Amino acid sequence: MPVAGTLGAQESPATGAIVARALDAESAGRNREAIGAWRTAISAGAVVPGVLGLERVFSVLAQEESLLVALDTLVPLHPREWQIRSVQLRVLTTIGLDTRAARAFTEWRDLAPTDVAPYREYARVLLFNNRAAAADTVLRQASEALGSTRALLLEIAQMRAGLGLWGTAAEAWRDVMTEEPYYESATVWSLTPAPAEQRDAVRAVLAARGVPLGATQALALLEVAWNTPRNGWTALGALAPSDTVVAIWRLFADEVERVRAWSTARDALAAIHAARPDAGVALRGAQAALAAADPVTALALARSAAPMLDETHRNADALPIELDALARLGRASEAEALLARAAQALGPDGVRSHARTIAWAWIRAGDIPRARRALADAPLSAEDAVAGWLALFDGDLATARGALRNTDVPGQDAVNALALLNRTRLERSESIGAAFLALARGDSSQASRRFEAAATELPDAASLLLTLAARIETARRNEDRSATLWRRVTAEHAQSGEAPEAHLELARASKRGGDLKGAREHLETLILDYPGSALVPQARRELDALRMGAV
Amino acid sequence: MRWNAVAKGFIAVMVLARPAQAQHLLMPMDDQQANHLKAYGITFSALTDGIRSEWLLNYRGGSFLVPDLPSLRRSAALAGVTFEVVDGARVAQIRKEIADGNMDAVPLEKAPRIAVYTPPDAPPWDDAVTLALVYAGIPYEKLWDDDVLNTDLSKYDWIHLHHEDFTGQQNKLFLGFRDAPWFIQSRDRDLATARRHGLADIPALKKAVADRLRAFVDRGGFLFAMCGATETLELAMGAKLVDIAGPFSDGTPMDPDADAKMDWSRTFAVQGAHLEFAAGVNAMSDIDGHQVNVPSRRQPLGTFTLFGFSAKFDPVATMLVQDHRTVIGDYYGVTTSFLRKVLKPGATVLAHEEGAPWVKYIHGSYGQGSWTYLGGHDPEDPQHNIGAPPTDLALHPNSPGYRLILNNVLFPAAKKKPLKT
Repeated sequence: MPVAGTLGAQESPATGAIVARALDAESAGRNREAIGAWRTAISAGAVVPGVLGLERVFSVLAQEESLLVALDTLVPLHPREWQIRSVQLRVLTTIGLDTRAARAFTEWRDLAPTDVAPYREYARVLLFNNRAAAADTVLRQASEALGSTRALLLEIAQMRAGLGLWGTAAEAWRDVMTEEPYYESATVWSLTPAPAEQRDAVRAVLAARGVPLGATQALALLEVAWNTPRNGWTALGALAPSDTVVAIWRLFADEVERVRAWSTARDALAAIHAARPDAGVALRGAQAALAAADPVTALALARSAAPMLDETHRNADALPIELDALARLGRASEAEALLARAAQALGPDGVRSHARTIAWAWIRAGDIPRARRALADAPLSAEDAVAGWLALFDGDLATARGALRNTDVPGQDAVNALALLNRTRLERSESIGAAFLALARGDSSQASRRFEAAATELPDAASLLLTLAARIETARRNEDRSATLWRRVTAEHAQSGEAPEAHLELARASKRGGDLKGAREHLETLILDYPGSALVPQARRELDALRMGAV
Repeated sequence: MRWNAVAKGFIAVMVLARPAQAQHLLMPMDDQQANHLKAYGITFSALTDGIRSEWLLNYRGGSFLVPDLPSLRRSAALAGVTFEVVDGARVAQIRKEIADGNMDAVPLEKAPRIAVYTPPDAPPWDDAVTLALVYAGIPYEKLWDDDVLNTDLSKYDWIHLHHEDFTGQQNKLFLGFRDAPWFIQSRDRDLATARRHGLADIPALKKAVADRLRAFVDRGGFLFAMCGATETLELAMGAKLVDIAGPFSDGTPMDPDADAKMDWSRTFAVQGAHLEFAAGVNAMSDIDGHQVNVPSRRQPLGTFTLFGFSAKFDPVATMLVQDHRTVIGDYYGVTTSFLRKVLKPGATVLAHEEGAPWVKYIHGSYGQGSWTYLGGHDPEDPQHNIGAPPTDLALHPNSPGYRLILNNVLFPAAKKKPLKT
């Protein structure tokens, strides 16, 4: 192939046209035509673009070796052209001619003994091929030959991560970001695979005093990737706010919202809003707070955003969040007053659209008549879930049975209520209503006692009622009372569907109390006496864990 | 009066404890079995309790037949092992089926005493065999270099080796991990052991250990090895009088004539293999067909097929391949496979990859004992990398690959029967 002596690729319009034609053919997937066009481009003087083009096309065709003949001609003609040398190293390594690749590297290095390019390019090729150990050798040679590896920090960082030297890899990445702060994404990509036991070494490096901002940002994003986003905010939240820091906080908030780490998102968004007040950010923070079951912060953020919005946006965006937060806090009077103040702007339909929220606020406050009154102007259909809950609280099990099936997003309370309503044929029960009302008010102690008491009244659902009471006490970590309730389930309702769960919970309680024999007995009873229970595989796992723990 | 009550109680216990007339529990090992791996554990614990069992080779995936005892029913139910209660007539019918086909019933008499060669601080999930043993509930003892060199190994029936490097080059991990604390720690530990035994370096220590293991098999022991232990044990045994270790491990270069000086008469399975002389190439020899740690030579994973054997004439090989699958997905290890061309003629190939120049699973006799090699690291973790999370066998209770390991654990329990002619 005739080869022009210069590398000035697109100096003449004619050469430019050839290169453009080659690019068009390559983009259109006309690979054969592209190969011919790139060869012509090389002949016309566009050597580097031509070689890179041929490398791309042959790579698509998995025929990298076809480039070797051209490289054998071009490399001697342009022995110091680093891009052509790089292509040669890539091709030889890709097709497994390691010895030739090593020789090509040596030739290049000997030609330019003080140039960092041969070391950098060969190390990159080796790292790309997952040969971190071989890259290590090349980088050590660079250190000896050049006296410094400052220009190879990026490769050193990648090599150390490839070797699993996580702490020193983090040091190298920190140094990279001191020079070039935009490498935080590469740092995160490189260090994310660090195993759990090695992460503290990475944290120690990236959280040290005086590290560049990019290192702190990388650490925060790593914590998100490692499923510990709270640690990420601990690192970032300590920074004094500046335009750059707030920009980093915004990126972090986007990330934690994406992974639904709501309490971390709430804190990040609240900090951004405090530093650079912004109604949109405050409302996002309020939504995150609601999702994190923190209505107090949600209310504060929504109220902070409201004055920054015009009336239309205030009623459309801030008001619903404020009402929801007030309802969850059981501050029904405040919610009602807030809605009344906005009533003129909202109009009757707008007010009615919030009636369910107000009703919930009264339910949380424990005032069922007021909840009903809140719905007076917005009558619910008999099938509405809110109507179902109100019926249940009244003890009207028949109405509740029909309406609660339509709960939009059934929470645990709805699942429990539906399970109970399907278990009993009773049409009315004041005590069941009182128990669920106590639960709705967040009075778990009262709810537990009422469920236990209702077990006497509803023999057909007694085991489930005792189980509901026991679950509440287990969640409250009231070990004695939960154990008593679970034991009642196993003793008085051994044939019920709840008995396996009771044995599993009793096994776990025994294990927590150090009674491994007792734990084993409960698990064995579950497996042997309830072979059809869906909990048997879990019981076997926990039995294995007990056995292996004992080995 | 009191005696009478005690006697009545005793009789009641006897009646309850006795199995129903000629009743047995059949643990099928075909697709009906819910937990294949734990079925081995149940059979093993029966043997430990002195309960005679039978391994029904080639019958429903290599089923187990045990007496119908309440304790066994309970253990099987707790472990989630499927069993069928079969009466005397059904057992007779099964025996007739076995007599008429390529099947056999092998009595299992005594639980083998098991030892695993593993560093004292290695967790169970570092090794597929210890994983399988722990999951199945089969007890074992740990051995390390001091134990091998100081203990009478004949007290064990079965010794397992995994990815330890008997050439003393620590799997050439210095290439990638020379600065890693765990690497430094293990090197220092082995060096201290070598010095305690008056040996100059780690290669010398591992050769001495390999020699003791060779003698263990020679005197009638069963040796099972996986992963890199297979290849490096062969090399260490064959290199008793030649330096095959790189300078990074003993300070001296490999003997340039090492290939020619290897004494293959001392090895179990391999002959005429070529050593890897390049210190920078993470391979020991050309025994392994897959060469996973040498990117330019690495071969992709395929599937391997278990051979069928005559159960009545070749019961040992038949035991080793009992499985509910005959084609199994391959998995990498420091040594993944064995090139067919370097195997001794006496090695029995138990599984191979069709059309490939390598085999996966081999077995043979040496002296009065026998050895089995299974390539690869973890049958349920095909790409296993250092630092990868451990395999949770509760998620693989029917693993056909792990069954091969447990076949090896149980087969020393089989009573040798005279061959039928």
